[in-house]
Amino acid sequence: MFKFIVRRLLAMIPVILAVTFVVFTIMYFTPGDPTNTILGNEWTEDASAKLKTELGLDQSFLVQFFNYTKNLIQGDFGMSYITRAPVSEQLLARFPNTLKVVAGAMLFCVGLGVPIGVFSGVKPYSLFSNFTMVVGLLGVSLPIFWLGLLLILLFSVQLGWLPSSGIDGFASLILPSVALGANYMANIMRTTRSSMLEVIRQDYIRTAKAKGVNARNVVLNHALQNAMMPTVTVIGMNIGALLGGVVLTETVFSIPGTGRLLVEAINKRDTPTVLGCLVIMAVCVAVSNLVVDIVYAYMDPRIKAQYGGGKG
Amino acid sequence: MDEAVKKYTTRKEFFKQYKKKSRLQETWNRFLRNKMAVIGLFIFIFIVLVAITAPIIANYDTEAIKINVPNRLKAPSTEHIFGTDEMGRDIMARIVHGARISLVVGFASVALALFIGGALGAIAGYYGGKIDDVIMRCMDVFLCLPDVLLALAIVAAFGTNLVNMTIAIGLSFTPKFSRVVRSAVMTVRGIEYVEAARAIGSTNTHIITNHVLINCFGPIVVQVTLYVASAILTISALSFIGLGIQAPIPEWGNMLASGRAYMRDHAYIVMAPGLAIFVTILSLNLLGDGLRDALDPRLK
Amino acid sequence: MESKKMNEQENTLEIRNLVIHYISDEEVVKAVNGVDIIIKAGKTLGLVGETGAGKTTTALSILNLVPEPQGKILSGEILLEGRSVLTMSELELEEIRGDKVAMIFQDPMTSLNPVHTVGAQIAESIEIHRKVSKEEALKQAKEMLELVGIPGERSNEYPYQFSGGMKQRVVIAIALTCSPDLLIADEPTTALDVTIQAQVLKLINELRRKYHMSMLMITHDLGIVAEVCDEVSIAYAGRIVEHGTLEDIFDNLRHPYTKGLFDALPDIEIRRSELKPIKGLMPDPTNLPSGCPFHPRCDYVMEVCSQSLPENKWLSETHCVQCHLYKDTNESRL
Repeated sequence: MFKFIVRRLLAMIPVILAVTFVVFTIMYFTPGDPTNTILGNEWTEDASAKLKTELGLDQSFLVQFFNYTKNLIQGDFGMSYITRAPVSEQLLARFPNTLKVVAGAMLFCVGLGVPIGVFSGVKPYSLFSNFTMVVGLLGVSLPIFWLGLLLILLFSVQLGWLPSSGIDGFASLILPSVALGANYMANIMRTTRSSMLEVIRQDYIRTAKAKGVNARNVVLNHALQNAMMPTVTVIGMNIGALLGGVVLTETVFSIPGTGRLLVEAINKRDTPTVLGCLVIMAVCVAVSNLVVDIVYAYMDPRIKAQYGGGKG
Repeated sequence: MDEAVKKYTTRKEFFKQYKKKSRLQETWNRFLRNKMAVIGLFIFIFIVLVAITAPIIANYDTEAIKINVPNRLKAPSTEHIFGTDEMGRDIMARIVHGARISLVVGFASVALALFIGGALGAIAGYYGGKIDDVIMRCMDVFLCLPDVLLALAIVAAFGTNLVNMTIAIGLSFTPKFSRVVRSAVMTVRGIEYVEAARAIGSTNTHIITNHVLINCFGPIVVQVTLYVASAILTISALSFIGLGIQAPIPEWGNMLASGRAYMRDHAYIVMAPGLAIFVTILSLNLLGDGLRDALDPRLK
Repeated sequence: MESKKMNEQENTLEIRNLVIHYISDEEVVKAVNGVDIIIKAGKTLGLVGETGAGKTTTALSILNLVPEPQGKILSGEILLEGRSVLTMSELELEEIRGDKVAMIFQDPMTSLNPVHTVGAQIAESIEIHRKVSKEEALKQAKEMLELVGIPGERSNEYPYQFSGGMKQRVVIAIALTCSPDLLIADEPTTALDVTIQAQVLKLINELRRKYHMSMLMITHDLGIVAEVCDEVSIAYAGRIVEHGTLEDIFDNLRHPYTKGLFDALPDIEIRRSELKPIKGLMPDPTNLPSGCPFHPRCDYVMEVCSQSLPENKWLSETHCVQCHLYKDTNESRL
């Protein structure tokens, strides 16, 4: 099992490297001269040339990339063109907020989506099941940012129950998490439901019933673990989408996180910060994919055994 | 002997035609039985019609763009069905014209993704082996970046105009599309009649175009529908955060963004644009789901 | 069907006039259309018929496991050791399933839960029906594995690590671990290689004798019937068209379908050049023929056959048949 994790960690590195390369390449071709942004009113030919040398912008593409990566490994994300402060500072301050929102959304998705999916999968022709299917369909189509605005209108403006912005305290996390998670909760709900339906039809469920296992345990002990496997995959695939959506959520709820930092940096043409945000997000996605792979391997004895977890 | 061969060829053709038509018929019938899918289809056709006839419904310059301050922030009435926005413009007019942009960008970007991603995926799936590996590795790298972020990066680099947006969104869908096409191709590749076609000496290109692509048609159509929904969502999302279509061009996303400041006292200002996005995406999702169920009822 | 005078306690299983249909929006599948079965204590009944004759549905109904909501038991009585199964509560059913009556299914490859060890799956049955600790249950499970010929150390392994034949042995172990009074075996060897078939059959037979179980052996293989069964019921289109002891059926068959089944067997002594299959196809359970369901394929068909269902006629104390040929006589008309 350990070998499996190590192997996957190592496989992650070239992927992250490649992503960094892609992002770096895209940003490299940004038209315009960054020295304009940095020097602003103090721009002169000389100052510009000096700055370019200082920042290494006069070197070839590959050299620049190499330097960037080298620094990246050591945790140095470069200097922001705007604030002249290390990008890593900003990231460190903002990233935890993003994580909070994403974690909240995850909790909402899985905590609500899975049980509802299981229930409606076990009783597929009931009113509850039909209701969840409708809700699921609607949920998948709701744009995050609109949902966010609607939630603010209802819970903040009309009812005054929950705050509409900022990130202090538990209450302020509720609306953003729901807005961000709604799409994916609907997705997870539908996937769990259909994989549950699929599993319940299997022969081994019939064997369990024929043994006299009671209905509740048939679902919990026999069906659930088998049904969860496609769900876990979907949860994994959705994490990337969550990180994309968090940008929108932070904008709607004015949360000082990495997403908003990214948008601001793009507007101000602050390339190092843009790069930094994108790289961090890509790393997140890669790490979460790894975690999902590990969980999946743990759940399926065939895969677990392949990597030295079981006998044989 | 030649007579026999000729007869067989024409008979084969006859049956091939028959089989294809009846399968299409069957699929279409199944689709029609799915009420939700048909509703989705109708709603979407309605939206397309609205977009096409937009200039007839509301004049672009006078109603959608022109600032008319005395008229601002009026609640919905018979004169202005959805009310007016913060610049005094009729919201309905803006929505109707916004539909054009969303649909055009939606379709164009997916077409781009289909073209590039489809070609890559088909090649990877058909030839397999090293070519498959290389192409898929490249695509995997892109999968690590969520769509929105990749589009953002491209927009950040190259600026926000209609063409760039389309390219950005199209490129961000390409990896996913290549995967879909690749797996469809690989499934079909294994089927016996491809072997048979090879046995009678068809060239690879011939096989790809005549046999493989025709059978991939189904899953690809489903994905196209769902991705158009996604593309429309992405363009409005990008416009919402200010990195998409810029004001004063009416786009549902940027309408939400500019209306946001006034929504506390004028809630209607964020209703219509959001509803427009929601209904469009919903209809496409219904359509895509319906197509998927019609094409392979077992998957239900 | 008029049952013969029998002390009900001696019958492990009694099924009377069972009718089960699967009802969906598009069609009605008439799976079981009036089945009577009696299995005496310690005896084995072979239920013979081709696929689609309603055998598995009948078997599932004994445990009240017919898939809902499509499957509906429209009428009939099922008595397990005198107790009516169809009126039992869910709790009572869970008690007898696995304990008083156990079932072995057809396909061993899919009958076991892939994420639990084989030992745990056997032990689960023990834990439910006998109040013992988990450790004790696992220990007994190991012993059970040994009994079916699998080394006890393998009880911690997962189903994917076993071959088809061994998986079926595990399934047998699960079924027998609580010494049920009735074992229902639904084509237990059909999915296995021929060489393994003999082994598994032998195992089932030994254990049955050891535990004094009654058995319902569902099969389409007359060879298996000859080896393990005491009595035979021939099923066709959801009805029992002939029933009797081994001698009755093998030496004195009466029903044309039974004759067809036996004729279809390749006979190594009579080296005919052609096989003799029964003409026609199994009837579509959503669209059964009128009158006697076998009449379209019958070599002895008469006009009355397409008009009315034949009644059940007892030819002797043990032998009965449903066929218009025997309305007025007991002698063979074939």
